[in-house]
Amino acid sequence: MPVDYARRHLRLGWWWLLIFSALGLALEAFHGFKVSAYLDVSNETRRLMWRLAHVHGTLLGMVHILFGLTVKTTGEAAMSRVRSTSLALQWAGVLLPAGFFLGGVRFYSGDPGLGVLLVPIGAVQLLFALWQVAASVGATRPGYTQIQEGNAPQKDGQKKR
Amino acid sequence: MRPDANFLSKTFIAVWLVALVAGAAFGVPLVRDQTGARREADIADRPVQIQTDGFVSSDACQACHPREYATWRASYHRTMTQVATPQTVGASFDRVRVDQVNGRPMFLERRGRELWAEIDEPDWDGVGDAPPRIRRQVVMTTGSHNQQIYWYATGHGRTLGQLPAIQLKADQRWVPRRSAVMHPPDVELVSESGSWNGVCVACHTTLGKTAFSTPFGSESLAAQTVDTTAAEFGIACESCHGPSAEHVRANSSPWRRYALHLAGRPDSTVVQPVRLDAKRSSEVCGQCHGLWEFYDAAAERRANTHGLAYRPGDTLADSRFVVQPSTNLNTPTMKGLLGTDPNFIKDIFWSDGMVRATGREYNGLIDSPCYRDAKDNTRTLSCMSCHELHKTADDGRPAGEWADDQLKPSARGNDACLPCHQGLATNVSAHTHHTPESDGSSCYNCHMPHTTYGLLKTIRSHQISSPSVQASLDTGRPTACNLCHLDKTQSWTAQSLNGWYGTPLPVTMSEDDRTVAASLVTLLKGDAGQRAVIAQAFGWAPAQRASGTNWMAPYLGLFLNDSYDAVRYITARSLRTLPGFTDFPFDFVAPSEQREAARRRALGLWRDSRDRIGRRGDPELLFNPDGSFVADRIDRLTNQRDRRRIFYRE
Repeated sequence: MPVDYARRHLRLGWWWLLIFSALGLALEAFHGFKVSAYLDVSNETRRLMWRLAHVHGTLLGMVHILFGLTVKTTGEAAMSRVRSTSLALQWAGVLLPAGFFLGGVRFYSGDPGLGVLLVPIGAVQLLFALWQVAASVGATRPGYTQIQEGNAPQKDGQKKR
Repeated sequence: MRPDANFLSKTFIAVWLVALVAGAAFGVPLVRDQTGARREADIADRPVQIQTDGFVSSDACQACHPREYATWRASYHRTMTQVATPQTVGASFDRVRVDQVNGRPMFLERRGRELWAEIDEPDWDGVGDAPPRIRRQVVMTTGSHNQQIYWYATGHGRTLGQLPAIQLKADQRWVPRRSAVMHPPDVELVSESGSWNGVCVACHTTLGKTAFSTPFGSESLAAQTVDTTAAEFGIACESCHGPSAEHVRANSSPWRRYALHLAGRPDSTVVQPVRLDAKRSSEVCGQCHGLWEFYDAAAERRANTHGLAYRPGDTLADSRFVVQPSTNLNTPTMKGLLGTDPNFIKDIFWSDGMVRATGREYNGLIDSPCYRDAKDNTRTLSCMSCHELHKTADDGRPAGEWADDQLKPSARGNDACLPCHQGLATNVSAHTHHTPESDGSSCYNCHMPHTTYGLLKTIRSHQISSPSVQASLDTGRPTACNLCHLDKTQSWTAQSLNGWYGTPLPVTMSEDDRTVAASLVTLLKGDAGQRAVIAQAFGWAPAQRASGTNWMAPYLGLFLNDSYDAVRYITARSLRTLPGFTDFPFDFVAPSEQREAARRRALGLWRDSRDRIGRRGDPELLFNPDGSFVADRIDRLTNQRDRRRIFYRE
C-alpha cells in the first residue's frame, strides 16, 4: 500500500509542535511556580537538558513540516530514498528530544544521565535525512522548473485523494 | 548551466567566511571592552592571577560542577580577596570624606569604574612638618563578611598599601584601621605597605606567591622587587581540592567520566576532602584556619617562589610547623620563635594552650579529646563533622544564612554531638542538670563557650572542653557556666560542678572568687581580651535569660571608655541589647571626652531606671543596699587589672 509521505510528515510535524510547545509551557510553569527540582542550581543540568528537549522537539516538528512540504512540492518520485529519509527523520524526531529529556531525569552533576546516549543516534539519523533531502532537492531542478511553470508532477497518493 | 548553484558554492561561502573572520577580529575585542575587563597579564601595579603549577582556576570547574561552583560563589571564601570595582566594594566611594583616620581626612572618589583615594603618605620618612598627601587607585579588597579592607597600588611593582580606614559591614561605617582589631592603645601603628603581598596572600588567595626579592620585612620595600601572583584571588576550588589541571584533562573524556559515574568510584585525579580520613581532611581547613610558621628560612624562600608547599591530602606538618603549645612548646622551632617574639604564644593562646584568637580553629580542634583521643576514624571529630563547604540541595536555608558559618543543618543543635554520645540522648537533663529545652542543655554552650576573640566579636572555642573552675583560675579564661550565669561566683560554679560531676574543688580560691560574680572579677581585673569576652557575654541572650539584665548597664557603662577600641565597641553593642538602652548614642572611636560623657550618661540612665531596684544589696554583684556600687571593692579590683598589651593575631 503506497504511503503518502507528505501527509505523514505534515501530521507528525504539527503533532510534534503541539507536544513540544506543551512541554515548553510546562517548563515555563516550572519557572512560574519556582519548582526547585527544575530551577535550583544543583539541577542546572536538568534545566539545560529539558530546554534542549523542548527546543529540539519543536524544531524537529518544523523539520517534519518542511519535509512534508518539500515532498509535496517536488514529488516523491523526484526524491531519492524517500522511505529511508522519512524513517530517519521519524527516528530523529523521537530520539533527539527523548535523549535530552531522559538525560535530565537522572544526571551526574554537570553530566547528563545515560539517556543522552540516544542523542547522537538521533543526530546521525537527522543528518542522514537532511543530507538526503538536500541532495534530492538539488537533483530535482527539472521538477522545480515544472513547479515554477505550474506543472507539478502528480503522485499516486495525491491522485487517490 | 546552473548559475545559482555556483553562487551558493562560491560567493555565498566566501561571504560567510569573510563575515566570520571579521566577527572574530572585531567582535571579541568589542565584547571585552563592554565588560571593562583588562587582561591580568597587562596589569603591572597590583598582584595578578596567573594559573601555574597545575592550577586552572574555578572557571574550569563550573561546567561540570554547577552546584558546587554556585555554593562556593555564595561563600565568603570566594570574596575574601577581590579586585576592587564599584561592584565588589561594600563602601561608597562617591566623593566621600572620612574623618575617622589617624591624621588628616581620607577622601574617596570614583572615576568611571576606577576607585581612588587621597590620604596621608603612610610610609612618610618624617622629613617635613607633615606627611605628604598621595592620590592612589584602590585596586583590591580583603574581606566581605564582617569587615572590608581596601588596598591601593603603591606604584612600586605589585606592592599594595592599605587605606587608613576600613569598612565595618554591620555598621556600614568607616573606622580607623586600629579600631577594627585588638590593638594596644599606646602602640603606634606600623605601615601595612606590602603586608598583603607578604602575609595575606598566603591564605587569602589560591596558590599565592609572595615573590619578594628578599624576605618581606628584611629590608625596606623600596630596595625590594615585588612580583606577587596567585592562581586565583580568594579561597577557590583548588585551595581545598588541589591543583586540577590533570583532573580537567582526564575528564575531558566522556568515557572516563561515565565510567566513574556508573562505578561510583572516587576520581583519583582530584582530592575530595570529605573522602580523606578525619585528620587529613581537617588539615585541609587547618592550612589556613590554624597558626603555623615555616620550619626555616629556606622553606620561606621556597614558598616565596613556588607558593606554599602544602597540597590537600598532604600531611600538614610535613611542610610547616603547626604551633601547638600543648605538644610542641619545648621544640627547637618553638624556642626559636619565642626567642624572636616572647609574646608569640601569649597573644594567641590562653596559658594552658587553648587558642583564644579566631581564625585558628584548627589549633582548637586538634587539642579536643574528640579528635586527639579518637581511635576510630568514623568517630573522629573533624571540621567536616559540623561544617559543609558546599550547601546541600536539601538545605533550605538562604545562601546568605548558610554562608555565615557554613554549618550543616544537623550541626546547629545537639545532633552534632549525640551521634557519638548516644547515651546522653535519651535523657539529656540527667547529664546537663538543666531542663532539656534550656540553653544549659545545649552541648555547645557548655563545651564550646564563646572564649575566642576576633573581628570585634567572640566566637565559640573550637577546642571541645568541659567546664573547669580550676582551669579558669589558672588561665583567666571564663568557664562556660559563668559565661551564662554572669551573676554567679566561681565558688558557686565549683560547688555545682563538684556536686553534679564530681569535679574536684579548686585547692585555693581568693576572697574575690568566692564572693564576687566571676564575670565582674574578670571584667574588672582581666586583660583586654578577657574584658571583650565578658562584655560580649553581657549581650548574649542565653546569659541575659539566666542572669537577668537589671544589673548589667552600670558595668557595661564603666567600659564605654575602655582604653581598647575593640572592648568599647563590644561593650556598646551589648549595652544596646538592654531595655532602655536600645538607641543609646555612642561612637566608640569618638574622642575620650565624648566617651567619658557617654559613660556618665549610661550610669545616669541606669540610676534613673526602676530596673536597678531588682538587684539592690546583692553583694556578689557589688551593689550596696541603697543600690550604689561597692566602690572600694570595684576600685581595688580595677587597680589589679592586667594591663598587659594585647595584640591578637586575628
